[in-house]
Amino acid sequence: MLLSLSGLHLDGEVTLDVINGSSHGDGGVVHGRLLVRLVEAMWEGDPGPLAAVCDEILAAAGANVLVDAVAVSANFHMMTRVADGTGTPLDSGTDEASEGFRDEIEVNDLVSRRHVPTG
Amino acid sequence: MTEALGWKTQGMSAYITELPIREELDAAHAAAMAEWSAPGTWWTGAQRLAIVAEVRRARDAEPLAPWQAPSSVEGLVSDGHALPGPIVDVVWRLTNHPGTLTADWHASILARGVEALAYVEVVSIVAQVNCVDRFADALGLERMSIPEVQGGEPSGEAPADAEVRLHWVPTTDIRGPNVWLALSGVPDELAARSRLSATQYVDGEAVFGDVISDRFSLQRVQMELVAARTSKLNECFY
Repeated sequence: MLLSLSGLHLDGEVTLDVINGSSHGDGGVVHGRLLVRLVEAMWEGDPGPLAAVCDEILAAAGANVLVDAVAVSANFHMMTRVADGTGTPLDSGTDEASEGFRDEIEVNDLVSRRHVPTG
Repeated sequence: MTEALGWKTQGMSAYITELPIREELDAAHAAAMAEWSAPGTWWTGAQRLAIVAEVRRARDAEPLAPWQAPSSVEGLVSDGHALPGPIVDVVWRLTNHPGTLTADWHASILARGVEALAYVEVVSIVAQVNCVDRFADALGLERMSIPEVQGGEPSGEAPADAEVRLHWVPTTDIRGPNVWLALSGVPDELAARSRLSATQYVDGEAVFGDVISDRFSLQRVQMELVAARTSKLNECFY
């Protein structure tokens, strides 16, 4: 949801299907495809492809962008473990607001799906 | 990757590199390692550093299937291990398969004698180590070395209002998104997690309060793209 909101002030449309992988283009985000490839290489952990995409980001966007993007991804390796290790349910406001696009980003079938109990 | 870039070697406390790692980020990682070596709320410094080492062992080992607990694999967890078997199992599962965790799995861990808030502290350390080490690994940096243990006993201080509400774990009655509440049963861990997030992502209220301002060298929308794809790969619904 924050991806959509953070792109509202930009020219052009930020598309959510890029969350599903780098084959979906840049999602309307500057260097979007490269950043997604970086995240995917970090997750895979294979040093060769990781070094290659780091070099591409260095050339295209610079070292500060590389370091900061790696830091953001690392932060979300932390936050996902906090959420899923503690059984954190989706906030009620986010639950309603995300209902329309959860199918598009293919998260409705995740084992980690949890909602705040109602009633 | 960094050899041809020509930046001055910074030689800061956590990392030695030519990459332009922000000073506050470097300091936050160094501070995190120092905190892991000190007694926490429920675990000693030696046990907390054992958790750090176990996260690294889990990440670097041949992968186990999610349902395969390391304590059930012959020879994987020695008799003299510094951590109880259920905690080793938590470390491996949370490190390598966070998206597979269920309420039943959590209940099974507590049924093996793990205290509810002691479990929260383990989750916090595992999550933080995954953050810090994955940062270093991605940039080809040497992971921070494990320091000497700081002596002393855990405080054992549980917030008076900690109870199970919306999460599997006890939380306190503070304001904020549910993921902020997740570690609130162990306030020192909530603070530690928040300090890392502030230097690597967005600080506190700005997460939802200001969704358009750029931060560091990134547009906020770039940060959210990285965040969303990382969360999806970890199969995190939240």
